[in-house]
Amino acid sequence: MTLRRVLTILCLAAIVALSIGARLLQLVFVDRAPLARALDGFYDRQWPQYPHFLADLREHTQPGDTIAVIVPAMGWDDGYSYAYYRASYFLTGREVLPLVAPDNRRLQRNFLAAKYIAVFGVRLRMPADVIWQGDQGALLRLRR
Amino acid sequence: MIPTLVAILSLAVLGIPIALNTDRSSRGPMIVGTSFLYGSGTMFLVLLTLSIVHIRWTLISVSVAALAIFCAAAVIGRRQPTTDNRQRPVRPHVFDVLTILTIAGYTLFATLVPLWEWDFWAIWGLKAKAFLEIGAIDWRFLESHWNTFLHPDYPLLVPLNFDFVALAAGWSDRWLGLLFGAWGMALLLILRAIAARELTPFYASLLTFGLAGIALSTNIGLAEGALIAFGSAGVLFVRTGMLDDDTASWRNGALLLGFAANCKNEGMALLVAVTIAVLLVSWFRGLAVSREGDDSARARNRATARLLSLIPAYALAAPWLVLRATHALATDIAGGALVRIMTRLPHAHQILGYLAAKLYKPWFWVAILAGILIAPAAARRREAFVLLVTAIQLAFFAGAYFATPHDIHWHVLTSWPRLTAQIAVPITFVVFLMLANSLRGGEDAPHAEVGSDQ
Repeated sequence: MTLRRVLTILCLAAIVALSIGARLLQLVFVDRAPLARALDGFYDRQWPQYPHFLADLREHTQPGDTIAVIVPAMGWDDGYSYAYYRASYFLTGREVLPLVAPDNRRLQRNFLAAKYIAVFGVRLRMPADVIWQGDQGALLRLRR
Repeated sequence: MIPTLVAILSLAVLGIPIALNTDRSSRGPMIVGTSFLYGSGTMFLVLLTLSIVHIRWTLISVSVAALAIFCAAAVIGRRQPTTDNRQRPVRPHVFDVLTILTIAGYTLFATLVPLWEWDFWAIWGLKAKAFLEIGAIDWRFLESHWNTFLHPDYPLLVPLNFDFVALAAGWSDRWLGLLFGAWGMALLLILRAIAARELTPFYASLLTFGLAGIALSTNIGLAEGALIAFGSAGVLFVRTGMLDDDTASWRNGALLLGFAANCKNEGMALLVAVTIAVLLVSWFRGLAVSREGDDSARARNRATARLLSLIPAYALAAPWLVLRATHALATDIAGGALVRIMTRLPHAHQILGYLAAKLYKPWFWVAILAGILIAPAAARRREAFVLLVTAIQLAFFAGAYFATPHDIHWHVLTSWPRLTAQIAVPITFVVFLMLANSLRGGEDAPHAEVGSDQ
């Protein structure tokens, strides 16, 4: 057996060994509940109730409504980007307006332009009508 | 789950006459794999067209359009003469059981919980859900300057496939994951059929089992799964077309690459990489042939013919490029790219070093590189097309990092593993093939099917 042949066999074996989806193969035979728990709501772990809050908001708003969201973390990378993107997904058909830009600038104009202000985990100290109130937050309409 | 499975099955049925029109001799795993991919791609075109002509998506409107295409393709297919069966029967091997188990594990993984990836609910799933609200592509939503985060310029094959499944089965964050199992399985069926033409059942099934680990994208909910399926199959069909001068493989390659260009911008880059590689390989082979006394004009004509074979791919890619230009959809990398590239060029060694340091599965790539070096030179020349496509695509990826408006470290960490996974299947396929054939001493005998070595 030549050296080249030995190297070829080793290389073939290495390619197969390093490619195979061993973890996918295992999944058929193991308890998948721990993995499911780890994956489910992975990005919601900061505020596990937030998706439920957004689902409630969807029930209490109409397509075409504009909504701005206020959450406990109003820094873009501290949680606001998550809150904004997540709200956009749950509230499709409505227009979700951000109150913070990626450079952490406050977007006051959106606060005034939105038909509704959704507050989650905080209280808003401004005159507003409560459209809907849940355990974690409320849907408000500013008095202008 | 059952309605989603029925929707996916209907995509495969829709694709059967199209797959047969593309290659009349297609059968076995090949026809199943290509049928699903053509069904998925055609459904994207159906929803895109209905949206353009302002017909609201409903199960009825979409079904009528799909049925019309199905009937037209079937009628055209019946008029076509039958061709020789170039395919080899796929003889099963024990490794196929392991591949099936891997696909089963993958499907369980994809449907374990509602799709969890950030990019699903911030990009791909979000677009699909927003479009479903109005039964059409929501251009106002894509054009809104508040929505640049969802990459409005990304092509829409994957979101529109989500929409078809949702129209047929209702929106389910969880069962949409079945689509990813279908794209992955379609690719593996095609790979198994191509491998069966060129390898013994032992090597063909071993290769497919190995490829299952890299062809099945674990980024569930993103466009990677579809891109890998369409792109990898497309590249390998073009390879077969070049090696065998097989027009059916060229047709398959061009159409699948066209659909890959509608999955992600990297799919468009892949199409350009394939075009450059076809040109280079044809040109150099043409030169070699003309040196041996053949007519150089004929070699040039062959190169031109090969490039013309890729026209269907560009025809499929064109509508989205036109639409995104006419709607002036925001794109992040292109604007001011030249300035950023020039600024970062002096730091090229640092950027490339960082890419090397953050390479996903580095030992896998070391093994691939070693395989290229160990393989006989004749085999390397024979597989120059796929090696070139991979190199060009890698260069495009590196170029994108030089041009990115984002922090490079963040951009590399969040995308580099996905990008390298996109190009892994074709190169792994040909490196394995070169090595396996060299063991059999048959690298110079293209597509020489040998007897079972079980």
